Amino acid sequence: MAIRKGLGIGSMYYGIGYGFSRADIGSAEIEMAEDGTTTVYSGACDMGQGVMTVVTQVAAEELGIEPDQIRVVAADTGSTPDAGPTSGSRATFVQGVAVQNAAAELREQILDMASRMLECPKENLAVRRGQVCEIESGHEMVSVGKVAHQLHFHGRRAAAWGWHDNTTADVDPETSQGDAYATYGWATQLAEVEVDTETGRVRLTKLVSATDAGKAINPVAVEGQIEGGATMGLGYGLYEQHILEGGIPRTNSLAFYLVPTAMDVPDIECEIVEVPDPRGPFGAKGVAEPATIPTTPAILNAIHDAIGIRITETPITPERVFFAIQEARIRGEFEED
Amino acid sequence: MKQRYVLRVNGRDLEAEAGAHESLLDVLRERLRLTGSKKGCNEAECGSCTVLLDGRPVVSCLVLVPDAADRDVVTIEALAEEGVPHPIQRQMVEQGGVQCGYCTPGMIMSAYALLRDNPDPTDEEIRFAISGNICRCTGYGKIVKAVRAAALEMKEQSGNGGAAS
Repeated sequence: MAIRKGLGIGSMYYGIGYGFSRADIGSAEIEMAEDGTTTVYSGACDMGQGVMTVVTQVAAEELGIEPDQIRVVAADTGSTPDAGPTSGSRATFVQGVAVQNAAAELREQILDMASRMLECPKENLAVRRGQVCEIESGHEMVSVGKVAHQLHFHGRRAAAWGWHDNTTADVDPETSQGDAYATYGWATQLAEVEVDTETGRVRLTKLVSATDAGKAINPVAVEGQIEGGATMGLGYGLYEQHILEGGIPRTNSLAFYLVPTAMDVPDIECEIVEVPDPRGPFGAKGVAEPATIPTTPAILNAIHDAIGIRITETPITPERVFFAIQEARIRGEFEED
Repeated sequence: MKQRYVLRVNGRDLEAEAGAHESLLDVLRERLRLTGSKKGCNEAECGSCTVLLDGRPVVSCLVLVPDAADRDVVTIEALAEEGVPHPIQRQMVEQGGVQCGYCTPGMIMSAYALLRDNPDPTDEEIRFAISGNICRCTGYGKIVKAVRAAALEMKEQSGNGGAAS
């Protein structure tokens, strides 16, 4: 076996949200029961990305109550307002702001009532950890639960609706110039590979990923998105090939269409870069797709570093690498061990 | 033609009417309403239907129900004791090993079988044990971390138990 090691870098930027003047809307309802427990009705559907956790945390932070006091009803067309799809790395960035807006309005309702109950100017009050506090002294005056009870008792609103429109202007139709997206995500990855020059087999042995999250609302979930995204990038780079013959899929099972297993994925080191984006909730923006994009280029560059050959077709199967090495040998361009 | 089978599932004898061509997975899910085991690919490639059959992890979509009769079947539903999650289940949540959750039950059953036979596995052994369980969300790192943490927790528990007795 002749194993050669190489290092490569891939970098990317990616538009967050739908951009190009396509409708990009988030909306949510929030309702506080008379014991202070709160329900968020959020149209964003969670398929493993963690948007329900983000919605919970954003609502808790904005309201000033603990996350365990919040229940999220998500993606139910019978009860939740439309928030568009969870795609385009937009759910946190767009729906997060809608939830924040709803929670901010509900907090004002709580403070209005607390101000009346305490006979204290509203601007001197804030909600922290489930308590209405006097801002200056930090003194806890009354629990949010008691204020919620009074809101219900007096038939006042303890509910709000939040809306966020992230629709951008389109680019110039003549020149295609302009700012197509509301914001962009940035990521760079460093890949270390081993190339077997006899078989053409490539193994990714280490991946370091630095991803701009704006603000990581839930760092474990952000890491999950980065690791999962990079793993999809690894699959795209090395394994996943959809073969159609005369319109008939030949790779119609996971035995033929290969996705990475636990044996294929190396340690992924995640660096979360936090440069707050003023348009996202608490500075956050999307991270999911940005983690997928730079992986394949990083691997391709690492292969070039290892064997001096540019592979230009994905997936980088052992056959493709093997034949690329043979062709380089014939041209006298392959540096033998 | 349907027939009556007795399945020993999670320590209880359960009866199910099923055709001989039906899979253990379908009988668990559709007849016995044990829906913890998931049907991902239904052709033994994804591992999300993993259960233990006489102690060995198998993909239940590929076991015909007559072959499972009168044998011990353990499903994900048996792992929590009196509502307290098994250390592997707890650590999967704790370490962020669960995202969409579809692979999770099968993943946990594979890890459970590993830790029973090998209480102190290396990362490589953990990765090998779960290599038949495909996860499309996590990248596996946090799942490996969860299994490692669960192994440590279980060792400490059995260590304490030993000291008490």
